[in-house]
Amino acid sequence: MNKLLAVIRREFIARVRTKAFIISTLILPIFIVVVSVVPAMMMRGSTRTMHIAIADGTTDSIGTMVAAELSAARTSTQADAIPGYAVQLFHGEGHLDALRDSLVSRTALDRTRDPETFDGVLVLTDQTLATGKAEYLGENTSSIEAMGQLEATLTHVLMTRRLERSGVDPRLVAGSMVRADLATTKVSDGKATGQSGEESFAVAYFMGFILYFGVLLYGQQTLTSVIEEKTSRIMEVLASSLRPFQMLLGKVLGVGAVGLFQMAIWGGTVFVISNQRERIAALFHVSAAAMQQLPIPTMSVGLLAVFLVYFVLGFLLYGALYAAIGSMCNNVKDAQQYLMLVSMVLIFGFFGVFALMRDPTGSLGVTLSIVPFVSQFAMPVRWSLAAVPSIQLVSSLALSVGALLAVTWLAGRIYRTGILMYGKKPTIVEVLRWIRSK
Amino acid sequence: MAVPAVRVDRVTKRFAGHTAVRNLSFEVPAGGIFGLLGPNGAGKSTTIRMMMDIIEPDEGKIALLGSASSSRDLSGRVGYLPEERGLYKEMRVLEHLAFLAEVKGVRRSEAIKSARNWLQRLGLADWELKKVEDLSKGMQQKVQFAGTLIHNPELVILDEPFSGLDPVNLQVMKDIVVEFARGGRTVIFSTHIMEQAERMCERIVIIARGEKVVDGSVSEVKASYGMRNVALRYSADAAKAASILADRRLVARADEYGATAEIEMAPDADPQQLLEALVRGGVGLGRFEVVEPSLQAIFIAKVGEAAVVPAKAEAA
Repeated sequence: MNKLLAVIRREFIARVRTKAFIISTLILPIFIVVVSVVPAMMMRGSTRTMHIAIADGTTDSIGTMVAAELSAARTSTQADAIPGYAVQLFHGEGHLDALRDSLVSRTALDRTRDPETFDGVLVLTDQTLATGKAEYLGENTSSIEAMGQLEATLTHVLMTRRLERSGVDPRLVAGSMVRADLATTKVSDGKATGQSGEESFAVAYFMGFILYFGVLLYGQQTLTSVIEEKTSRIMEVLASSLRPFQMLLGKVLGVGAVGLFQMAIWGGTVFVISNQRERIAALFHVSAAAMQQLPIPTMSVGLLAVFLVYFVLGFLLYGALYAAIGSMCNNVKDAQQYLMLVSMVLIFGFFGVFALMRDPTGSLGVTLSIVPFVSQFAMPVRWSLAAVPSIQLVSSLALSVGALLAVTWLAGRIYRTGILMYGKKPTIVEVLRWIRSK
Repeated sequence: MAVPAVRVDRVTKRFAGHTAVRNLSFEVPAGGIFGLLGPNGAGKSTTIRMMMDIIEPDEGKIALLGSASSSRDLSGRVGYLPEERGLYKEMRVLEHLAFLAEVKGVRRSEAIKSARNWLQRLGLADWELKKVEDLSKGMQQKVQFAGTLIHNPELVILDEPFSGLDPVNLQVMKDIVVEFARGGRTVIFSTHIMEQAERMCERIVIIARGEKVVDGSVSEVKASYGMRNVALRYSADAAKAASILADRRLVARADEYGATAEIEMAPDADPQQLLEALVRGGVGLGRFEVVEPSLQAIFIAKVGEAAVVPAKAEAA
């Protein structure tokens, strides 16, 4: 046990101290900050108040309503948001064309020299109410967002006005247009768990995705680590002191711990960044509301625990598989063809989740969530979708741990014979013989 | 009789195509320095690797310290320096040394303490936080040497420990080995440098082509080999010696160097007779000494033989 700890510690420290580790650990948090802050910084220019002149050529003062509606709009939903529009209303009954031309001549000037300039002119006529047609002349006509907002506001005013004319109370219409909103809650063991089914599935699916990439990213490291050790000259000293099983388990756990450590740092950063949005936003002088929202899943303690346990196990289990491959190859090139097998298992596990989604409690779902290598993906998803009997959870966990030890043991058998066989790549038959040899 | 440190019992190891070790048996008594000698490719490293249970013999048994367990279970009591040296290059020196002790089962706190002591002793104390790759080759070898002994084993097996060392480091390592063996512990080392073995070992085994050709204490081996040489230095009238040295009943072979000569006595001839003949002949002698055959001479004679005579078992 002492020896195993020494191997794990060595493996961990050796990796964590490398520049590659430090850089890759720092890069993701920086990337996240950049991704969430930069768009907000870029959008800062557009979240200013738009100065609009309304040339109202209507006889029943639709322009007044539009002006009121626009003035009430804010740039965002936050309490301290600035007004979206500064509206000036001009009545142009009878001389609309002249009014329009004079307003246009004051539009899109340099605001630093002429603070009274308009960003655009909205022209309303009596036709507007009937056909919905209105004219807008401005510098920001190509901004889809600004035009969309303007159009929506106008549509709303026109609709309200038309309904009023037909004798319908607009509030009645607003009330009757409310959409259906289905709230889903997962029931477990006859009790409502309080978590939404949709959300916990998204979480489980997302986690499966992380596991998939985590394994691909770090599994390779376990493989190269084993291969390097085989060809390095220190191997003989270690082989005389440690069992191959200890050496490989130490490696699988050590490299695995590095991967989990890095991911914990990443996860922690995402969490902190989401929690400290206001401060980070203030740091970069952007509004917190404009910052890209990171999806921080909320999940129950149970799901979190199940996920973490399966994630760690899956991570190590696949690591052991990579170690086994490393132990029968002399260089990474030789390992490629075997790597494909692991990738196939990995992909099968990942896509098994989709089969499971359709019927989480059916026999396929139960099987997928118990068989090692697949259960790492399937069980968290199943747990999030349906109640899992504890006997199934326990047997699934036991099988995973068993598989981890068995794969590492097998890897050790191969390794023991493989270490001194330099040169040619072993055939499958030879590998089987190595495993059987006493 | 004390339990032998190593007992190799009729061990055979075959690799694809050839037999590396053939029916090899010998015992290494506990205490002292033991030499495993042989030319390159004789099977020394294979034998040592089998002792360390890195490879398994096809036939026969090897017992370390009188125990049937694998060397791995005894690894706390055994130190091993493989022929192929190597350390983790990116590790810090102190940590590496401590790690080598830890995999032998030493507790971490103790491991770090004795790693410090060893670095102090080897004059590497200032380097303990440096990476291994920053050390010179000689320093790395010292570190590895220390790593072999750091857990204070009863038995140390060193595969070609002195190859590739400069004279200064050679001296340092030699002193460490000698001091280590003085404490009642057993040191086995393999080498093909006979001079080193002759000066350090109490007992030797010479193997060639996987078979044992010589086994015994160094003095026994020399005595039983029976080759007697005489070293001469002339002080005057060297020319008078020529006819005497040409006498094939007395002298088998003479290496004349002008002022000195090295004589190999003829079979059944007595160095005493040679001395009498030289004195009678009026040769002035500055030195007349009967010298033991060197291990080098025995080695070349024996291994040369083994190399010439095809191994009998091959035909069987």
